[in-house]
Amino acid sequence: MNFFLFRIMPGDPIALLARSQRLSPEALELQRVAFGLDQPLITQFGVYVRETISGNLGVSLISGLPVWELILSRMWPTLLLVGIGTILAAGIGVLAGIRGGWRRGSRFDSGSLYTSMVLYSTPEGWLGMLLLILFAGLLGWFPAGGYSSSTSSGTTDVAMHLALPVLALALGYVGQFLIVMRSSMMEVKAQPYINLARAKGLTDPDVRRRHAVPNAILPIFTLVVISVGFILGGAIVIETVFSWPGIGLLTYEAIQTLDYPVLQGVFLLSSAAVIVASLVADITYGFLDPRVDAI
Amino acid sequence: MSIHHRLSAVAIAAMTLSGAGLVSGSGSSAWAADDATTLTIGMTVGIDNPNIWALNSTSEWSAVTLQYDMLMKFSDEDLSASPGLAESCEHNAAYTTWTCTLREDLTWSDGTPLTSRDVAFTYRFVIDQGFSYFTSYFPKGSTFETPDDRTIVWNSPEPTRGMDLPPWVYIVPEHIWGPYIGKTNKEIKQAAVLPNVVSGPYVMTEAVPGQSWTFERNPNFWGTAPAYDRIVFRLYTNQEAMVQALKNGEIAIADGLESALLPAVEAIPNVAVQKITADSWVNLAFNFGGQDPAANPLPALKDLRVRQAIALAIDKQAIVDKAFQGAASPGESIVRPLSVYWHLDVPDDQVIPYDPDQANALLDEAGYARGEDGIRVDPQTGQPLVIRMPTSNDTPGSDIAGQLIASYLSQIGIEVKAQPVSAGKMYDLQQSGDFDAYIWYWTGDPDPNYQLSVFTSEQCGDLSDGCWRDPTYDDLVARQASTLDRDERLTLVREAQQYVYDQVPSIVLAYPNSLTAYRTDIVADLTPVPAGDGYLTPSYSYTGMVSARPAQSADPAASASGQPASGESGSDSADTAGETSSASPSGPPVWLWGIAALIVLGVVAVLVMRRRGTEDQPDTH
Repeated sequence: MNFFLFRIMPGDPIALLARSQRLSPEALELQRVAFGLDQPLITQFGVYVRETISGNLGVSLISGLPVWELILSRMWPTLLLVGIGTILAAGIGVLAGIRGGWRRGSRFDSGSLYTSMVLYSTPEGWLGMLLLILFAGLLGWFPAGGYSSSTSSGTTDVAMHLALPVLALALGYVGQFLIVMRSSMMEVKAQPYINLARAKGLTDPDVRRRHAVPNAILPIFTLVVISVGFILGGAIVIETVFSWPGIGLLTYEAIQTLDYPVLQGVFLLSSAAVIVASLVADITYGFLDPRVDAI
Repeated sequence: MSIHHRLSAVAIAAMTLSGAGLVSGSGSSAWAADDATTLTIGMTVGIDNPNIWALNSTSEWSAVTLQYDMLMKFSDEDLSASPGLAESCEHNAAYTTWTCTLREDLTWSDGTPLTSRDVAFTYRFVIDQGFSYFTSYFPKGSTFETPDDRTIVWNSPEPTRGMDLPPWVYIVPEHIWGPYIGKTNKEIKQAAVLPNVVSGPYVMTEAVPGQSWTFERNPNFWGTAPAYDRIVFRLYTNQEAMVQALKNGEIAIADGLESALLPAVEAIPNVAVQKITADSWVNLAFNFGGQDPAANPLPALKDLRVRQAIALAIDKQAIVDKAFQGAASPGESIVRPLSVYWHLDVPDDQVIPYDPDQANALLDEAGYARGEDGIRVDPQTGQPLVIRMPTSNDTPGSDIAGQLIASYLSQIGIEVKAQPVSAGKMYDLQQSGDFDAYIWYWTGDPDPNYQLSVFTSEQCGDLSDGCWRDPTYDDLVARQASTLDRDERLTLVREAQQYVYDQVPSIVLAYPNSLTAYRTDIVADLTPVPAGDGYLTPSYSYTGMVSARPAQSADPAASASGQPASGESGSDSADTAGETSSASPSGPPVWLWGIAALIVLGVVAVLVMRRRGTEDQPDTH
């Protein structure tokens, strides 16, 4: 699947060089032979399977560098951006979901729900562009892109470069955490043990904190763990808008140039991360909620 | 339309407002990264591999051009051959031996002497390793001798124009690359190279993948020492972000801008835009069939009168104005204007004008009568003149140009189905011949041979757009390729261009400008190559980077050494020259940090108070 998916895309990565690089047909053929693209697809697939099993993801058709090296060089910026963005989105979403779900129909509930849903429905690239134009262009408070400045790469400098993409990412994803947390809270609130807790004289905040939230947060745990799996895939649109040198940007560049080995490497990595994250979520869920083990 | 393009529309509108100063708060220079020692250039394409043997993107070519020299280089005036590392080159009467003399006291950036052995090694290395970008200049069987440290002799088994082209091969140090002789190209491309060892004005010392590439001044450079200690290429994958960075002063130069952003950029104060003479051109190519048994072009397009009528019906100036916002010039011949010496300006009396009436008359005369629906019908086949015309999305302006052409041709009874497709899909169509016409682009060398050759019959199925076959043209191209006398060759090259123009296998729609914008209050004395409307950033030469200097230090005497760019400034730069901001980024103002701190403190206080409140409650468990 990982191999054939990208070869369905129209075009020939080597031929794309002809116009931009003024290559002769002979030169193009040499390039094809060098990368094994002159071989039948099934032969290429056999090589791909053999090499992948042995841990070799191949070399980029464009740069000639090992795919592992390229992915590793982009790993940290992506972990930083998507990791912090996910934590922020989950934190804000869960807190707002708890409060909104507990007081359904309140002004806070309606406000947070509609706002987060509007942001969730907004294309993240568009949201990113608005933030960029406002805060980097008009106000000039933050840089317009990249990981650090030309003359500095200190923590503060990186944090200032990180601010806008993280904000765009977090704002876009708050909704998914909020809505799950909110509905989970509403469901838990209707349970008999909540009424029992109240009957025992517990205050409303105590009932919420000690009895409702611990039970309601279980679905969120799954969502967060699976989101962690997606972190390695990068945030293609946000990274492209803010020129953030992560795996998402690497993917975007590879798609443009039909760099099959890089695309295969990135998708293999992100697929594996999601599978592992799902497995971790399934296993840990049993520990967190004994009812699951009992089934 | 891609997400990127949809975003662009919103961004351009907003940026035009901000650039025009309609919104308060310019944000100018808050993130300025340029100071008296560093020149930062925004690029839209990155450098995947700093290794010279892994050249691909335009930025990689720029990086290499900034660092390395050719034996004979492209002249700053018109890109013809001029002294590079060599002071002079002479050929024998038969053009089979070229003897070049190197400048005195050349040294690599690591202090090692640069000799003729490095030149001979480089040429031998690229031939033996088959580096395709560089090998086409050397006839098979070429040998190189080095009678002394400053003399290199190139013996060719057949006559060659050789150093008159000149060969676009950068000279590399033997002591670095010698150990790689006989290794695979894969191993050579994976060699760790930084810091590079070079002969040009700057040395790449650091590469941050996907972000920035730093070049330090080469202390051993043989030419005039550049003013900047450091040049940084920064990648912006989002053109709008690059414009904002230029506005903020994060970068001094924004290279490779799309013409759609021109209005927004021109509205920014202290910014000049260099509209660079076309490096490429946008092409409406007709399909003649023959690429593949399944190729099925519209037969009527083989009729010269139909192609001429189409050419008459297209308003190229309107395409320039609407598809390129004026940042282009109407197309004529197939050798780009940047090749100043070889390019043909079609004589006025032979130009095909925009004249729909004449186009209609020509088709009427040829017997292509209109059907009931107004579409003309081919008298030979009975087929209506309906043209399937994909437009490639890697060719800026092609989408709008396609829509305009559909509109123009509807006036002469030809229906056009314009369809934007990816470059990959375009390649598939070009190979299969499953189209009637398409809009794509071409680019070429300073020497016209490559560009002329792609229209020859033998390129059908390879590089040819639509498999046009014409023995007269093939003969012209073959003759110019074998003509050694420059003036005689020029006549043939121009004749070939005129022939293509008259036969209309393609219509050169436009020569789009490459756009480079720069802050006139930060950087000055950027010398364009070629002269006039040439490149400011390294494309064919590093001259612009050597002459560049901080705006506040630029003075008339210093400027005299270089030819200043002819860019059009968005405002009077003299008013603000010398106001270059420092390198320290300021970020949000202090009051904003104060508000943020108060919010955080407030949240913490509320949480603490609530926690205390709940702890005061009796535990009923």
